[in-house]
Amino acid sequence: MSSLPETTIQETNLSKQESSQLLQQLRTLLGDDNVSAAAVDRLAACRDYWPMGTLWFLEGKAPALPDLVVWPRSTEEVAAVLTLARKHGVPVTPYGEGSGALGGVIPLRGGIVLDMKRMNRVRHLDRENLLVTVECGLNGALYEEYLNRQGFTGGHVPQSIRCSTVGGWLACRAAGQFSTRYGKIEDIVASLKAVLPDGTIFQGRPVPRSSTGPRLDHLFLGSEGTLGVITEAVLRIWPLPEKQALLSYAFATLEAALEAIRRVIHSGARPAVVRLYDYVETSHHFPETKEAEGRCMLVLISEGHSDIVAAEAKIIDAYAREHGAVACGPEPVKHWLERRFNVSLASTLFRQGAVVDTIEVSANWSNAASLYHAMQEALLKVEGTALASGHWSHVYPDGAALYFTLCGFPPGDKADYYKQLWEAAMTSCLALEGAISHHHGIGLHRGLWMDQEHGPGLEVLKRIKKALDPDGIMNPGKMGLEEALRWRK
Amino acid sequence: MAQVNRKQLLDCALCPNMCRCECPVVQAWGKEAVSPSGKSRLAHLLLEGRLSWSEEFLEALSACVGCRGCQTLCPFPELDLAEELLAARQEASQAGVCLHQVAPYLGNLKKFGSPYGQGRGLAPAGERGAAVLYFAGCTAAANNPQSVETALALLEKAGVSYQTLDEFCCGYPAEIWGDLELARQLAADNRERFAASGARTLVTGCPECRWTFTRRYGAWGIELPLEVVDSTTFFLGLIREGRLQPRPVQGIDTVTYHDPCLRARLEEDWERPRELLGLIPGLTLVEAASSKEKVRCCGGGQMAQLTFPALAETMARRRLAELPAVSAALTDCPFCRESLLVGGGTVMELTELLGRACIER
Repeated sequence: MSSLPETTIQETNLSKQESSQLLQQLRTLLGDDNVSAAAVDRLAACRDYWPMGTLWFLEGKAPALPDLVVWPRSTEEVAAVLTLARKHGVPVTPYGEGSGALGGVIPLRGGIVLDMKRMNRVRHLDRENLLVTVECGLNGALYEEYLNRQGFTGGHVPQSIRCSTVGGWLACRAAGQFSTRYGKIEDIVASLKAVLPDGTIFQGRPVPRSSTGPRLDHLFLGSEGTLGVITEAVLRIWPLPEKQALLSYAFATLEAALEAIRRVIHSGARPAVVRLYDYVETSHHFPETKEAEGRCMLVLISEGHSDIVAAEAKIIDAYAREHGAVACGPEPVKHWLERRFNVSLASTLFRQGAVVDTIEVSANWSNAASLYHAMQEALLKVEGTALASGHWSHVYPDGAALYFTLCGFPPGDKADYYKQLWEAAMTSCLALEGAISHHHGIGLHRGLWMDQEHGPGLEVLKRIKKALDPDGIMNPGKMGLEEALRWRK
Repeated sequence: MAQVNRKQLLDCALCPNMCRCECPVVQAWGKEAVSPSGKSRLAHLLLEGRLSWSEEFLEALSACVGCRGCQTLCPFPELDLAEELLAARQEASQAGVCLHQVAPYLGNLKKFGSPYGQGRGLAPAGERGAAVLYFAGCTAAANNPQSVETALALLEKAGVSYQTLDEFCCGYPAEIWGDLELARQLAADNRERFAASGARTLVTGCPECRWTFTRRYGAWGIELPLEVVDSTTFFLGLIREGRLQPRPVQGIDTVTYHDPCLRARLEEDWERPRELLGLIPGLTLVEAASSKEKVRCCGGGQMAQLTFPALAETMARRRLAELPAVSAALTDCPFCRESLLVGGGTVMELTELLGRACIER
């Protein structure tokens, strides 16, 4: 057996004997090629894109290692694995493509990592009802490519689309860059199939709506593998837009821009993309747009039927000018479209010793500007923080998402700095009644603030968890449903 | 020994795998360890001495077909992950670690000059001292000798004076399997034999051989005494000169062309094969869903059929699903041809089709 790195927050592992027995049983169920106890596979499944995982990697350490990695090929195989795991009280952590930003897939208590990537087929395209049935291990970009080739779009383009799966989108309640028109994943999903921790298969029905009790499919959205494993979904799709309008405006203040956006949305217009950058991000992303110098850039894309696009463009332009904006044309939008998946600077900064992260929250319009200022001030107060810039996106009639990009060079211990940074962000967000996450989810780290986010309401989620997963085998230690002991310290 | 560029590798390791959708290996296999950043992370930990070399780690680092799909989306302009992985494999070799599935092929290579074993290479033919040297490459010679015979027949038909040698491997397999010393030895031997042949032009139908001759030998300090030309370009010239006159091919009307990764991505040549197809009367070319510089590897890259046969087959089936329904799928790489045959359809090298268009009645 090859050597493996030291772990930092591992709580437990199976004994060698338990692991070996489970390996044999899983091989019988799934075949030798779909189960591994090899160091190379255990190491690869130990982390996601959570910055602490990255920082530990740079120290040659792993957060926590699973004992086994399993690749199911069907919902029934997932059910078989969960049945076996429950029988033996073995933890199970579902894994997609590891793009999560909060440590949600770290197997804190070892056990089985259920890698969903071999469930990657498109099962059915329903052109009449604009629905597609897909397995959850399918890569997002390949899903969108498939739809585009058929003349459709899935309307869901998170920055991680190239490195995330459909199942990951559902499990963390994701939002895409074009969400103001197409909706978030909870609007896009028509139904889903999930396996409960006892092996029971839940199958929702892809109806447009129902009044038949709480929408059970939605129970699994954002559950991050703590309630079961999402294996398949029916998603809504759209014909490829016949027309796109690329618009951009530079505003003198954030407040003026936010007000213009609010008015646009209240008018009934639904541009697909709405992104408002603060002064720092405007100068970073759009240095070539002279009109935007010392201003805040708003980029928008309206798309769909040409009549609707023309009307939306007119409405947007009127409100933007009314709020003192200077029109900057399509070039800044094209620039954003070209650069929107480039996260290379984070690699470079990590390599140079920085701590880099992003924090996304949401707020009502009434708090939007004050939340930005309060969070930025709190973040910059943490010693070592070099940058805390923000942008708004994902717009609703009642508010928007606020997304901070952070970079710091900690004077002392990086983990301490990281925790201080988040404490500042979460505390200031909660004080102004923002939601502590808009679309990245909770994972391991943000679980530290789940009780403050939900108050007594968290008990409801804990009871659901207890009812569905009484032995606590599903992704233990996550979402603040129980203490993540070693990380809390 | 080639040095791993640690900075480049670390940039890749610290990236959230933003190119993984274009890595045909991880998409076909589903193992996190063989994702682009998964391999970089592993290589980084090994090169930093945080992990010790083992066969299972080397296997993950060897699960790259060199297609550069990742590079099409890579934000790091100088990073070539396939190159870094080749260098990392040489480190493994230095540490005495070798893949068990590679060992017999490397043994054949050392003993017989072909990974396929004794008597599988090309035999000397043609006119000694001729200006054109046809180099078949190990895979075409061993597994598709008809294509080599067709290429030679086309040369004869066009009145080209040619010769073939008792071929030795170009060195490519040795390099991808981590044995750079053997690769250099084969390169030096080839230089001597090519020089002794008196030929001025080497024509080859194998992109991997061509890549090695033109892009590797120089880096290994071996200067070849002749010009290296791919067979498609060479035959295209003969058609343009009127020395080959293609006619319609019976039973083949619609075709698709699968671009070999090395040709499309590294040589950036996807037009000449299409130009050649356009000169065969009666053919309609239907493009695949992803083609030219956006082609996806069929599983033939870096001889994956030999070392990762199950993976190569899955990749081939995924690629076949992207090809349109046509009477023949064409390519100009012996490895691609072999890969695509798993679907049971008609798959030919361009040379073979040209043979039917120019020689057969």
